Amino acid sequence: MSTRADDDAAAGHARALLRTATRYSGPRCAALCLVSMAATGAGLLLPTALGRALDLLLAQAPATRWVLSCAALVLLLALLDAAQTVLTGTVDARSTAWLRRRLTGHVLGVGPRAADCFGSGDLVARLVGNAAEAGTTPAARAALLAALAGPVGGVVALGLIDWWLAAVFLAGAPVLTFLLRAVARDTTESAGRYQRAQGRIAAALAEAVEGVRTVRAAGTQDRETARVLGPLPELSRAGHRMWRVQGRAAAQAVAVAPLLHLGVVAVAGVLLTRDRLSVGDVLAASRYAVLATGVGVLVGRLAGLARARAAARRLGEVEAEPATAFGARPLPDGPGRLELRGVTARRGGRAVLDGVDLVVPGGTTLAVVGRSGAGKSLLAALAGRLADPDAGEVLLDGVPLRELPHDDLRRAVGYAFARPALLGGTVEQAIGLGLPSSSPGRIRKAARAALADDFVRRLPGGYATPVADAPRSGGESQRLGLARAFAHGGRLLILDDALSSLDTVTERRITDALLGDGPGTTRLLVAHRSATAACADAVAWLDGGRVRAVGRHEELWRLAEYRAVFGEPAGAVSGAET
Amino acid sequence: MTGARRTTLPARGLRFLLARRRVLLRLATWSVLETGQTFLIGYGPARALDAGFLLGRPDTGLAWLAVTGLGVLLGAYGTARVYTAVAELVEPLRDRLVERVVSRGVRTGDAGSLSGLTQQVEIARDTFAGLVMVSRSFVFTAAGALAGLFALAPPLLLVVGPPLAAGVALFAATLRPLARRQEAFLVADEALAGHLGTVCPGLRDITATGAEAHLSAATGERVEAELRAARALAHWGVLRVASLALGGQLPIVLLLAAAPWLLAQGVTTGALVGALAYVTQSLLPALRNLVHGLGASGSRLTVVLRRLAPAEPEAPTGNAVPARPEPTAEPPPALALSAVTFAYGPASTPVVDHLDLTLPPGSHLAVVGPSGAGKSTLTALAAGLLTPDRGTITVGGHPVPGPEAAAARVLIPQEAYVFTGTLAENLAYLRPDPVPEEELLAAAEAVGLAPLADRLGGLGARVDPAALSAGERQLVALTRAYLSYAPLALLDEATCHLDAETEERAERAFAARPGGTLVVVAHRISSARRAGRVLVMDGRNTAYGGHEELMRSSALYRDLVGSWTPGPARRRSEPALTLGDADRVDAVAGPGLAGDGRHVVAHGPVGQVQAPGDLRDGGSLGREG
Repeated sequence: MSTRADDDAAAGHARALLRTATRYSGPRCAALCLVSMAATGAGLLLPTALGRALDLLLAQAPATRWVLSCAALVLLLALLDAAQTVLTGTVDARSTAWLRRRLTGHVLGVGPRAADCFGSGDLVARLVGNAAEAGTTPAARAALLAALAGPVGGVVALGLIDWWLAAVFLAGAPVLTFLLRAVARDTTESAGRYQRAQGRIAAALAEAVEGVRTVRAAGTQDRETARVLGPLPELSRAGHRMWRVQGRAAAQAVAVAPLLHLGVVAVAGVLLTRDRLSVGDVLAASRYAVLATGVGVLVGRLAGLARARAAARRLGEVEAEPATAFGARPLPDGPGRLELRGVTARRGGRAVLDGVDLVVPGGTTLAVVGRSGAGKSLLAALAGRLADPDAGEVLLDGVPLRELPHDDLRRAVGYAFARPALLGGTVEQAIGLGLPSSSPGRIRKAARAALADDFVRRLPGGYATPVADAPRSGGESQRLGLARAFAHGGRLLILDDALSSLDTVTERRITDALLGDGPGTTRLLVAHRSATAACADAVAWLDGGRVRAVGRHEELWRLAEYRAVFGEPAGAVSGAET
Repeated sequence: MTGARRTTLPARGLRFLLARRRVLLRLATWSVLETGQTFLIGYGPARALDAGFLLGRPDTGLAWLAVTGLGVLLGAYGTARVYTAVAELVEPLRDRLVERVVSRGVRTGDAGSLSGLTQQVEIARDTFAGLVMVSRSFVFTAAGALAGLFALAPPLLLVVGPPLAAGVALFAATLRPLARRQEAFLVADEALAGHLGTVCPGLRDITATGAEAHLSAATGERVEAELRAARALAHWGVLRVASLALGGQLPIVLLLAAAPWLLAQGVTTGALVGALAYVTQSLLPALRNLVHGLGASGSRLTVVLRRLAPAEPEAPTGNAVPARPEPTAEPPPALALSAVTFAYGPASTPVVDHLDLTLPPGSHLAVVGPSGAGKSTLTALAAGLLTPDRGTITVGGHPVPGPEAAAARVLIPQEAYVFTGTLAENLAYLRPDPVPEEELLAAAEAVGLAPLADRLGGLGARVDPAALSAGERQLVALTRAYLSYAPLALLDEATCHLDAETEERAERAFAARPGGTLVVVAHRISSARRAGRVLVMDGRNTAYGGHEELMRSSALYRDLVGSWTPGPARRRSEPALTLGDADRVDAVAGPGLAGDGRHVVAHGPVGQVQAPGDLRDGGSLGREG
């Protein structure tokens, strides 16, 4: 799907994001780098100091200075560790928050296109999970040098004590790792089996959740639970297997470092017998060997950074999608005349709308009809700039929509949809979404016009009911969406199939109220029912991406093909929206 | 699983562990190998120095180190076995959580249970395993190290023991406030994720209303709250460092400072080196794992468990699978509502208001009205899924809710339930006993499922619900209900995805069930015409009567019938337009409705029925076709 150029753009954006995020916490990152280097340095000095102190103590020589310096180093290490903890946590949190603010702002600026490109679930995953992962990058990078310096310093220090020690360590590491790797098994197979069993349970549960009314009415909850849990024993078996496999891998991991360490100690011991090393040197060597085995930690950190980079790339992909740009030409006063000039829009390589010319005079109502896939919804989206055409221009009162500033455009155009997404804490806030100030009177008036007031007042908390807790059918959602559009107002009102789930009586009552509203508003109605089309001043009949005809419904009704647009599909089964 | 008593999470955890004493014993047994390894990590090198290298006997020194190496390998083997034992602790917990999530999901229809199953249960599994590993590892490592110190020279214990105990005590004291911060962070994180979960699917609507700035600010607030929580957590992390420094690093300095005294006490060189090895290689890492693991995983597990396993709510109403009811001499009404009032909240306007209705056995009632008029609420009340605020309901003379009433009715909702299984399993779902194949086939034939059954490959064929269309699923659900023993069938727009002919066939099959009473929330006017009686519901304009009668007396009914016929072409056949919510969102599984537990919509009130009429006149109108 994505081309190489897209990839490069995403990677570029990812790099830029991480750079800016790092700069955002610049001083903290620099401090973290210094603190972590200092901690590594102190950690590398401590074994030598310990060794020297031990030697002096064993020789019963005055060792106070060395003991004190050991104490000082330990104290310093603790302080640096504390500073590092706070800095890492803070930088991670700040970077994550910065990335989230930035990306959320960008996604909101891109608008519905972002959800089309990535899918809304995936978008959430990017903004929540990927941002948190990518947010660890600045701190991890700042501390990377120190993480590298630890093991390297350990090996070098071993070499400084005696080159044999370093040689044993470097030779032993790959051999041991290789020998023990043979024991480890691939965990993917057992994990896959586990996920499949889990998937079967989830699928059965999803079915049962959808059929909850039937299940509850039939009183078969226990039987359903048992049925859904059918694959549980298998899940359990796969789970046990996973732990066994993991246990083997862990056994390998816990054995390598101590064995290497013992190898170094053994060589140091032999060198001690030949008087090439002191007891303190052996102690120091033992400590350095431990520091050198920190390579494993470093590998883990690098893997973490790689994961963070992959996460940042996924953010970069979002960032690469350009935000909608707005103009600065103010909207003049006007009746709300809508004009489409040679509008073409492509989706997936196909011209869904192909050179559409259409004029809706101010204050009139145009119904847009056509078969499924004729491009009605896309036309509705273009008419209020929820999307931009690939060619041609959409004008409101003579001004191209692209040239309008954001606020002028959105104030002038209101939308209602077939399946509105209702946002905001309460029902009242959901209806008043986008209104500059709270205006309960306006919201209730709009709800009454949309015939939503009655059922809202029947909700447990009335208008204050949390919107997520308001049980509602498709028709009720639509009426809340209509109320939102009515409260919003504007000179152009676009109803994209926004009456489809209403019964015919309710629909007629609402259209009566809507059209009786006076000449102040221009209306564009995407309609499936002939009754809706019949109310409009004119009907635009879309067919194959073009306007087949514009005229009064009664006139067009004489054409058999036009009538066929409203016919129920002949098949046995049909949803209202197919 | 009983959990009827309200018990705290720790108490339940303790019960869970006590029930698995054998596993704990096994875990301890294998962990002892790790203790042995830890013991040798200090003791082996110490002996290697004292008895070998320092005496100029490298072979003895190397032998001691080889023994230590053997100990390491044995310890690694123990680690592998420990994982197996941990699995026996973790997997049962996971099983239990899955059982709970599924049981609750099936009962409440909460779509959130799905993410509970796939995500939260897994988090609980991982964090619980992590907790067990970390705390166990600390205990057994500390035991090994302290035993080693004692074996090397008891005075060493005096130097290392007290600061270690102090560090652990400091950590224990800070565990609670740390856990609170951790929990606050998790809560803030979830709030942000939940918020973004509504923003992203709503981008179109946000753009359309021009509310970008508003939503951006709202998101910013939640991001800020999460940032604050994360920062607080980072600052409290200093306490962890302090416990580590006290318990793990101070002993190093103390060992050096006390070295002259220790040497005077007869502590050998090797013992001193061994003691330092214990502190730096065993105690410090184990303490670090404990301090970092316990703080984070512990609160994570608490949060997730609290969410997954809240104190069990009320016991499910145990209406069993309907059994064949015994025939009685004088048949009571199939359905009777008397002065029934129902509202969705104490402050909200009633949806059904003082409704009286009596249906004799064998009758056929159509319920019509605009969407939101309370039609589904009425069927839910009759089925006992909702309890009226006032008034009484009986089904077949049995009070609702109650097991006898539940056995005497079958409700088929709009969203047909078909599960993955054989067609026969799906059809016999409402029958307690195995159903003969001929009966299944006859029912399929009567309702109109037979062609689909043939296409699927017969009764034994596996059904994939996702591969069926909405209408085909409705046919399966209708046939299932047809096979049930319940005499009263409540069809709540159960035929809305069927075409007119298929709908008619199914409805007539139900009406012809011997002794069967049928209540249909009508989807097309033809449905209402087939019924002997019609109940028109809408606010205060509720009316009741036959079709012709209502055409004369009810303006709303005329309106409904009129608008069933399309606009300019009134001559056209009637099934073209729908009365109900043709594509009504399944409010149960719908987004954002997780956990509200209700599935019926708040609808308009039903006023006092205008013309109650005498339904007994209606007789068995349903059988006329």
